[in-house]
Amino acid sequence: MGNVPTKLDQDGNPIETVSRPGYPSGTTGSSSTGTTISTQSGTDGRTRNKRATSLVSTFLNSSNRYRSESLQDGTYHSPHKRRSTKEKEQMKEQHARNILVKYDESVDGGFMAPFGSYSYDKLDYDTTVVKSLIIQRRLAPFYTPLQDFDSSWSREELLKIVDGLPLHESFDENPEEFEDIPIGDLNKSNFDYLIDKNASKKEYRNLHSKIFRARLYRKRIIWQETENESFLETKLEVREGKAQNSYLPCDDLKYDLYSNGSECPICFLYFPEPLNYSKCCQQPICTECFVQIKRAEPHFPHEEVDPTKPIKDDSEKDPNLLTTEPSNCPYCATSNFAIVYTPPLNRKVGIQGIPPATYTSQSKDSETKEPVQKDEKEVPTISTPSSNNVVSSDDIRPDWETKLNKERMRLARRSANATAIHVSNQLIDPDYTSTSNDTTVSSSKRSTNTTSRQGSNTASRGGRQRSRQSMNDLENQMIQEAIRLSLEDEQQNKSSKTKK
Amino acid sequence: MASLPKRIIKETERLVTDPVPGITAEPHDDNLRYFKVTIEGPAGSPYEDGLFNLELYLPDDYPMEAPKVRFLTKIYHPNIDRLGRICLDILKTNWSPALQIRTVLLSVQALLASPNPNDPLANDVAEDWIKNEQGAKAKAKEWTALYAKK
Repeated sequence: MGNVPTKLDQDGNPIETVSRPGYPSGTTGSSSTGTTISTQSGTDGRTRNKRATSLVSTFLNSSNRYRSESLQDGTYHSPHKRRSTKEKEQMKEQHARNILVKYDESVDGGFMAPFGSYSYDKLDYDTTVVKSLIIQRRLAPFYTPLQDFDSSWSREELLKIVDGLPLHESFDENPEEFEDIPIGDLNKSNFDYLIDKNASKKEYRNLHSKIFRARLYRKRIIWQETENESFLETKLEVREGKAQNSYLPCDDLKYDLYSNGSECPICFLYFPEPLNYSKCCQQPICTECFVQIKRAEPHFPHEEVDPTKPIKDDSEKDPNLLTTEPSNCPYCATSNFAIVYTPPLNRKVGIQGIPPATYTSQSKDSETKEPVQKDEKEVPTISTPSSNNVVSSDDIRPDWETKLNKERMRLARRSANATAIHVSNQLIDPDYTSTSNDTTVSSSKRSTNTTSRQGSNTASRGGRQRSRQSMNDLENQMIQEAIRLSLEDEQQNKSSKTKK
Repeated sequence: MASLPKRIIKETERLVTDPVPGITAEPHDDNLRYFKVTIEGPAGSPYEDGLFNLELYLPDDYPMEAPKVRFLTKIYHPNIDRLGRICLDILKTNWSPALQIRTVLLSVQALLASPNPNDPLANDVAEDWIKNEQGAKAKAKEWTALYAKK
């Protein structure tokens, strides 16, 4: 394929600091590894690999599982590692609450959460970071988009359309994913009664997570609809003159926002200006599309495939080779995508600004005010240094490195497990011959052989007889399946020949 | 999302109002994410005078995920395999949400004009292409006449 070779991560970003606030440190054994890490950090990719290797092998070498876990917790990455299911679920609920669009939380006429052009499970950015960037006016707010825009619309026509805009895109009430999943009483936090008591541990966990997701999906719809209703009611009351509300935008604000906008080249929706602009090539991008752009999932580097060699299974590769590259600019493919946002000067409303209802348009009498405006324009160029205006894709997903390390650990553990099974098979059955002709056993693998042998020695003794029995059974089953398949194949061949 | 995103609606409209020369793309009536595509073989290539049928599908995550494109007409090309699958970087790792149906199909047409046997998908074709370019091109021309007649 005519591709540009994928670049390896060579950025000089300092490795995520080891000691995070609110983070247990100083457990036994952690201090030594901890210090080596901090002295190595911030140089290049090679040291990062080295660090990971040493930690992975520490983990694998350790025969005491608990000790090794506390070791990683204290020094390594995963702040999520030891969180209980309950804590994780609470975090997910909090995340769902953070992406609700609320009419009384606005910045410069836009909101703190996305309108809903993309599906909920794709909104995995850090909501706290994004919200604070919006409040700091370093990222455009999430404006409600217009599906279309016609420059020939009169002020009245445009205002009528803007007044009819919902806070959030309509929901798919019954997505296929959750079709047959009971959600029970949403007011009760415990839903274990929905799960069959006789379910196995694995089934239980599976069902639990499915029900949790279905419940969260439904809860989120209810929460957002509550926001929508209060927005609508307030709008009606204000229109009928029954009440006043400083959070609702006045006509001047609505007109100024939407009479001067542009289409985002990615979602093709129409947004008020200013949008965010790519740092590299000055192309517009709305905030909703910007938060969608992220690194690819951890993967092995793209290799030129040599057809003479068998394709290596991912589980045979060194987990430390897993990598992710910073996302590229969607327009010019420059690495490490970042945007620049210049906030509107004469429209500082909402949070840290004037109430949206009190906004007055300055364009009407702009001629008389022109010199004043010029003065205003000079202010931000002095007060905000240029580096402060740049927001990169990695900034809004600061956990990318944690995720990468987690994935590496998962793979290392899996390959260790595979080796353990392999070795225990050899122990059970002296005739068992290795199916793997992999001569280049990675160092981490070799180190596990010794540990797993000790473990499996004791474990396998009791089940020796049984496992040999089940192995024979399995082999018989596989042979029968192979015969059945080849018979089927034969039959198909015959019938297709007769057809011809 | 149950409803069709505005982007897909607008792209479809623009494909109709401002068509690409030598390329057609029409959505199916029952699935607006599924397109029936034809591409004319570029002039000066072994595919000249051929009309190739393709299918294009926009997955749920489009435009954050690349469209799926496949040749339906048999074609002799080092980057297109027996099943019509295409080896093109922008359909895989180098996809960008700023690309569109229009640009993807133009890239596929460009791939017909300039095959890349050094990064093949159909190994046997690529080998043929490297060892005996004239012969391979003759065969591609022959297949075009056989399977991609207008």
